[in-house]
Amino acid sequence: MRLTALDEVAERIGLKKLQGVAEARAIHPKLEVIMADAAADRRFLAAIADWCDRYTPLVALDGEDGIFLDITGCAHLFGGEAALLQDVLSKLQQFGLDVRATISSSPGLSWAIARYGQETIVGDGEAERALAPLPLSALRLDEQMVLSLFKVGLRQIGDLFHKPRAPLARRFGAGLLLRLDQALGRDEEPISPRRPVASLSVERRLAEPVQAEEDLLHLALQLAIALKPELERQGLGGRLFELLLFRVDGAVLRLSAGASLPLREPKRMAALFRDRFQALHDDLDAGFGIEIIRLNVLQSESFSAEQQDFSGSGNEQAGLGTFIDQVAARFGADCLLAPVGRQSHLPERASLFVPAAEVVQGLSKTPPLAVEATPCRSERPLRLFRHPEIVEATAAVPEGPPVSFRWRRTLHRVRRAEGPERLASEWWVDGKNTFTRDYFRVEDEVGRRYWLYREGLYERETNAPLWYMQGVFA
Amino acid sequence: MAGNAVAREALFALRETIARIEGKVLPADATCVGSKAEKPFAARPKPGEEPSSRFLPLGVPAFDAVLQGGLPLGELMEFRGAELRDAGAVTGFALGLCVLLHRHFAKVTGRPLVLWIGEKVVAMEAGLPLVQGLQDFGLPANHLLYAAPKGIDEALWLAEAGLESRAFSAVLLEVRGNPARFGLTESRRLSLKARAAGCSLLLLRQAGEEEASSAVFRLRIGPAPAVSRRLADGSTLPWSLGNPAFHLAFEKSRQPALADFFLEWNPHDRQFSALPLPTAAAGEKPQPAHSGALLSASGDRPHRPQPLGHVVALHRAS
Repeated sequence: MRLTALDEVAERIGLKKLQGVAEARAIHPKLEVIMADAAADRRFLAAIADWCDRYTPLVALDGEDGIFLDITGCAHLFGGEAALLQDVLSKLQQFGLDVRATISSSPGLSWAIARYGQETIVGDGEAERALAPLPLSALRLDEQMVLSLFKVGLRQIGDLFHKPRAPLARRFGAGLLLRLDQALGRDEEPISPRRPVASLSVERRLAEPVQAEEDLLHLALQLAIALKPELERQGLGGRLFELLLFRVDGAVLRLSAGASLPLREPKRMAALFRDRFQALHDDLDAGFGIEIIRLNVLQSESFSAEQQDFSGSGNEQAGLGTFIDQVAARFGADCLLAPVGRQSHLPERASLFVPAAEVVQGLSKTPPLAVEATPCRSERPLRLFRHPEIVEATAAVPEGPPVSFRWRRTLHRVRRAEGPERLASEWWVDGKNTFTRDYFRVEDEVGRRYWLYREGLYERETNAPLWYMQGVFA
Repeated sequence: MAGNAVAREALFALRETIARIEGKVLPADATCVGSKAEKPFAARPKPGEEPSSRFLPLGVPAFDAVLQGGLPLGELMEFRGAELRDAGAVTGFALGLCVLLHRHFAKVTGRPLVLWIGEKVVAMEAGLPLVQGLQDFGLPANHLLYAAPKGIDEALWLAEAGLESRAFSAVLLEVRGNPARFGLTESRRLSLKARAAGCSLLLLRQAGEEEASSAVFRLRIGPAPAVSRRLADGSTLPWSLGNPAFHLAFEKSRQPALADFFLEWNPHDRQFSALPLPTAAAGEKPQPAHSGALLSASGDRPHRPQPLGHVVALHRAS
């Protein structure tokens, strides 16, 4: 077992990384060794990246112990780059972390100076001066390349500046020059943020942390009111909203709520989050309080504003949309379903349930009681079982209707039967060896009507066909 | 003389108040002049609706007479199936009423949707609605929304929210048995919400016992043999299964019902029609010569034989 990380006291004693634990214990018997947990470390890094969301939405992870923040255009909100850096470092140090940070105009340069240099802010024209004394591994090159450069006599980055580029590229590959240009800022290197960036965002920083749910909802309503003019200016309505609550102790809570039709009304946006709060009632823990609250619009669509007349009769569509949004926010999108027909002659595939939010525009658009073409099939049952249930039936061989059947431990005697309706298998989906079904509508002595089928034809497909019940009629 | 007139006016006002509480409609000459200002709550005409459309007649005179004019709109109605095997019949009858309500509302106010709040165990035992089956029954499938709540609390919340949204012409609430969380208070709350919204709430109690509730009426629905198919020359095709039929028994209603009803639903015409009581078919056990009328359950209520060993709760009685 080897040591992967040391604290300052251990470094002062003289222990090194990748030293064996037994050897380290021999040097210092009272060494405290903890098992490395890479997954926990990654989670912790992700939590810190979430915390950094308060400065900028463009946050990316860098390896296992670094974070990139793209603060283009954000620095003035915190009083300048120096003040921002001071804020980040002091807060993270208050959490008990030892952090080194650098602000510069390219990610490669910041990486190099944060890990191998001492400066904190590097101006625009100072890249070469800052990079020159650093060793070559500060360019994010792999060890093999650093070793081969060392053999040639190149030890510091400053040695590479004035060398001709073509021989270097020929000998060491294009990666070396790419990394050098990225560090000097000649090549653009965008960072890929962890989360999608919201198109519109409104934020409020609180002087004192807030814990009560009603206060949070009131603040969300105020944020929604502030969001409305911007949505109106762009002619958009929001479909997916996200509420971020930054806790005092560093954790970040995210709540998202979707709407089935584009929304602009602040009260409806706040109502979505009220339903979401009630659905998460026990899981939402504000800890010691929320200090920053932010409302993002993640998805938006163009909003067609309709002029309403005085009778207020155009509100049915709004009522249905509000109902669907409320149910989706409270119980999830799968609670409210709309039945949709598909093109298939197998009954279990011909009818599908789709979340209502996806079909809300098509609901009730056709005129009621439109005349439909008579389908060329026999009647279908009102209710279909999810999985056909096996029954033991007595029927005339080879193709007669059942005379009696035993279903759910009860014997039913059949008084009348209609059928058979032969449905062959969908061989292009299920293969050629699936059986044909003969469907019968049967009625028992009391008057209950069932839909049974026999799977398999006698002697042509199988010798012992099985009987199943698939639905009930009215 | 003046004192007599004042006393008579007070008497008429009192009669009207009692009739309003009981939900009866007084004959026209009994109303007094001063009572025009206070119409009964349910009878206040909504914008765009004539005052006489408080009831939706089913087209079966005997049935409509028991309901005093037809199906009351904007009320809580209860339909009970004794066993889970009868779920198909209960659903079918309720959907037939939904088709009528849907057609009525589509003409009057343009609320074309029906909300069906299912129940988990009933969906496992009796199945989910099928698009083609609904179309064959008379209800276009794009006018139905199906909700799948996880418990009775969620189902009640969905029913309330659905009624308040005023986007539906009918809400079907499926309940299994007699859950403890759904009692008189909850049904009263739902009936008030239904009245306020003007939307009918049909409560389907699958495999449930009779229980006191705030419904304006309660029907026990059972299966009945289907009608044979009618051929073009007027005769029927023997041993065929045509339109579905239902056996209805009033267990709670304003007017007493004298006998059970057998109704047939015609999906093409989208209406109910009455059927004669089923007679014994040839080849079955012969019935006794004078078998007596089939009395409805409410006909002999105090002397109804108690089922052995199956007492649900002593205080639950209609």
